Amino acid sequence: MHIPDGFLDARTAVATGVLATAGLGLALAGVRRTVPPRRIPLIGLAAAFVFAAQMLNFPVAGGTSGHLIGAVLAAVLLGPSAAVLVMSAVLILQCLMFADGGVTALGANLFSMALVAPAVGYGIYRLLRRLVGEELRGRLFATAFAAWCSTVAAAISCAGQLALSGTVPLRVALPAMGGIHLLIGLGEALITTLVVAAVARARPELLLEQTEPRLQPRYGELAARGVLVALGLAIFVAPFASGWPDGLERVAATLGFEHRGAATPVLAAPLPDYQFPGVGSAALSTVIAGVAGTLVAFGLAWLLASLLTRPSGTRAHPGGRGDVPGVSRAA
Amino acid sequence: MYRALLEPYQHQRSAIHRLSAGVKAGGALAFVLAIVLLPRASWTAYGTGAALLLLLAGLSRIPPTALARRLLLVEPFALGVALLSLLQPNGLMVFAATLTKSTLCLFCMVLLSGTTRFSALLRVLWRIRVPSLLVTTLALMHRYLFVLVDETGCMMRARRSRTFTRDRASAWRSSASVIAHLFVRSSERAERIYAAMCARGWKT
Amino acid sequence: MNALEVRDLAYRYPDGTDALQGIRFEVAEGERVGLIGPNGAGKSTLLLHLNGLLPEHPAAVPAVHVLGSPVAEPHLAAIRARVGLLFQDPDDQIFCPTVWEDVAFGPLQLGLHGAGLATRVEQALEQVGLRGFDERLPHHLSRGEKRRVCLAGLLACEARLLALDEPTSDLDPRGRRELKGLLESLPVTQVIATHDLELVVELCPRVIVLDRGAVVAQGPTAELLADEQLMLAHGLERPHILRHRHPH
Repeated sequence: MHIPDGFLDARTAVATGVLATAGLGLALAGVRRTVPPRRIPLIGLAAAFVFAAQMLNFPVAGGTSGHLIGAVLAAVLLGPSAAVLVMSAVLILQCLMFADGGVTALGANLFSMALVAPAVGYGIYRLLRRLVGEELRGRLFATAFAAWCSTVAAAISCAGQLALSGTVPLRVALPAMGGIHLLIGLGEALITTLVVAAVARARPELLLEQTEPRLQPRYGELAARGVLVALGLAIFVAPFASGWPDGLERVAATLGFEHRGAATPVLAAPLPDYQFPGVGSAALSTVIAGVAGTLVAFGLAWLLASLLTRPSGTRAHPGGRGDVPGVSRAA
Repeated sequence: MYRALLEPYQHQRSAIHRLSAGVKAGGALAFVLAIVLLPRASWTAYGTGAALLLLLAGLSRIPPTALARRLLLVEPFALGVALLSLLQPNGLMVFAATLTKSTLCLFCMVLLSGTTRFSALLRVLWRIRVPSLLVTTLALMHRYLFVLVDETGCMMRARRSRTFTRDRASAWRSSASVIAHLFVRSSERAERIYAAMCARGWKT
Repeated sequence: MNALEVRDLAYRYPDGTDALQGIRFEVAEGERVGLIGPNGAGKSTLLLHLNGLLPEHPAAVPAVHVLGSPVAEPHLAAIRARVGLLFQDPDDQIFCPTVWEDVAFGPLQLGLHGAGLATRVEQALEQVGLRGFDERLPHHLSRGEKRRVCLAGLLACEARLLALDEPTSDLDPRGRRELKGLLESLPVTQVIATHDLELVVELCPRVIVLDRGAVVAQGPTAELLADEQLMLAHGLERPHILRHRHPH
């Protein structure tokens, strides 16, 4: 999902750059406030960990394989601010040293994968946790569904950025990116949940709530973050959400964007896989596909969590040596 | 995918390698910005840019095969998205321009990363006042990347030696458990690193 | 003044198990003392007390005194400059992007910059035989080279007491020889926790035997390590070098 250089126009690149800088700044402040000094090295290590974890293969079918993104994994294990920082570090390294993601598109990519993905994922995770309670099954279910949602949200953000730049029309980008990630999200959910379950088995104390802010939530900051994400998403998704086939032109005209070469999107039929038979409007059918996908993902997440917490095979972990720094277990 | 294909070439001593990291980074950024901001149909400009990059690549003495391989690794996504852009009137122009721009920028960044060490880039970031928490995170990440990748490799090999079924489910479970153990070990290592930093007087 | 004085040091892990009890010994300046014992004896835990990393919550009466100062606030910063702790895994200790930056880390925290800093780093690297390694990346170094970088980092802080945790583990014979030669050449006080009994015989005139958190014996190396019963009783053994003494 890393957008290369040349796919975004100046306006989108700058706008997302500003949003990304603001979001990252908020996250840095959040980390400085909520993460004690002894856990600062952990953030760097966690970034290396996400990078290394992204390299592992999860065979899908016929030689293709999936890979972890890791936004929700980082958020569940380290907390939301640290997750933003971790994902940002990974993306910056990928951009600068591996040319994976353009330099001018860095703001946009950070927005999608280091802001939207962890924010949406963590938000849904917390929401569901409040509803399903403390036990492991509920936690795993929340993780699974949150991971799926975060992937889809990031894909929507990416599609929106491409559409706003006039590179790919929204009616193509959204079903293509969004649609594919409805499926990829399932893989992300599965991997993230398996990992969280394994950590819960091996070292349950690492999953304790100490990773979340112990202080009173700063409502001002929470609101600022929420507005940031909402604003960004609104800019990209509002034209579609308006439901009209020419919603994008309407917004473009209102905001004074000059028309790109591809000015008036003729109603090209989107990829037929994502259309429901019998439903006329392309937009409406994509919405229905999205909703159906969400419900399926919801159900699968619950199924996965239940499967992973079946009574057999859960070993209690004996108390370890705890948090003594530097003590090697051998000596 | 990230087997740092260009790392072996970062220690060469060509004219390009010897330029300061700030100059190289600034130059790369300027080039990318220029290409991105050009109007879509600036074919002569693209040609000039390409010639410039080829010249620099030659001066850097990095084997062209290595550069080509790096380029081909990231092209598929660009190609895929670019193909989507065909689905509109004037699509062919958008497709061609977008692909050209992104390839040129890609080549530029590949050259940058092949001739510049990440530690040098970090110093540039530090000088331009990027927040220290971010720079520290980037530095630690880069430092321990190879350590963790090696650990992952070891663990995967150990798992595979103990797996006798070839089905996907067990492959997924073993990869997931490797990731989990990697996290646990990373946490423990982070604690020890903190201790080592304090032992040398780190003031938090 | 002794370089190190430990009086009735006791420590309990967070889960309640006793790690150290009634530890009591001294190390004179310039001495090299070996610290040996089976796995789990508490050697590493003991070393962590020498620069104040343990205990997590300061004791009412500091049990450890380094160069006359108690290992407690407000002396901790100075103590950490004086006591150089070499960790078991050099990858935990070399956390900076390049060798130069890592060796410079300590002096930087102590307030050095510019030319003074550069000189200190250069001298430290020279002392460990790694001149010219400034721009090398840590993950390209051999195990032995990493250990020496760690030592350089400690020497750059002008440490007067080196506490070494398994310095020769994981080293190939050449690495081991080089490190041994290096330690021999350094005039600073050294406490070497190790399983490498041959190293102890070669480097340390005095040895402390630790088992289950308590000091079970301390005295001249040749005497204690030749005592087969004592060695076997505490999970050790008589090193070969003392078995086959050839008259010269």
